[in-house]
Amino acid sequence: MSTQNQIINPKERARESVAGRPVVAPAVDIYENAEEILLVADLPGVTEEGLVVRLEKDQLSIEGRMDLPQPGTALATGFRAVDYRREFVVPKGIDADKIAATLKLGVLRVKLPKVPALKPRQITVQAG
Amino acid sequence: MLTRWNDIDRTFAALDEFRRRMDRLWDEVETGYEGPVTATAWPRSNLFDRGNELVLQVELPGLAENDIKLTLNQEVLTLSGERRRDVPEGYSVHRQERGAVRFSRSYQFPCKIDPERVTATTKNGLLTVTLAKTPESQPRSITVKAQS
Repeated sequence: MSTQNQIINPKERARESVAGRPVVAPAVDIYENAEEILLVADLPGVTEEGLVVRLEKDQLSIEGRMDLPQPGTALATGFRAVDYRREFVVPKGIDADKIAATLKLGVLRVKLPKVPALKPRQITVQAG
Repeated sequence: MLTRWNDIDRTFAALDEFRRRMDRLWDEVETGYEGPVTATAWPRSNLFDRGNELVLQVELPGLAENDIKLTLNQEVLTLSGERRRDVPEGYSVHRQERGAVRFSRSYQFPCKIDPERVTATTKNGLLTVTLAKTPESQPRSITVKAQS
């Protein structure tokens, strides 16, 4: 399955500003093995409440709201609170009901298991 | 930035893409978005003054407390650590934008800080270091007396 071309749609990375907060595309890693596709995204400052992972038809979207406290007067600013957003086209053969997502240390992991029919299987050869 | 060949084939699409990138250029400047992760741009940090203490905020997604090293030498705070590329066993790689970096960043503060009263916590990939100012560098209010 050539996932590389299917799962990333460059047009979907366009930013759009909502409510004055800048929207940025988070950095993402995509891995695949026989069982599943694994998507890893950096979402520093995003809590579970501020995160939405949604699958609509073949579109997987990630939306995260960075919760950044402002403790006092800023002396130097290297980054500001942003909304993370990115969309992916999920290839055919993903079991939508079994998609699982975990958020830990500001890193989101989405596991997209393949439907059993697409998993490679070993066929035992019997001596005739 | 990468140029996609099919954009060059379609001249108008290329112009469109150019315009789109120019539009976005200012967004990136404004947000302080530093682009893909590189050793020099990472990690990004904010410094705040809360009166009695300074607060340093650092973006460190994926780093547990054991991966982060903080040392305070005289007035200089050095933050160092390493984020390894955690390719899961047996997986093939389709895309890797999250960089593996070994970083070291030093901060010098605009006032004296009390080395005994520095605390650091991590939460959701954000490190917060609180540095108490020494009594002499804390703000104080001066009462104004009216002269009759």
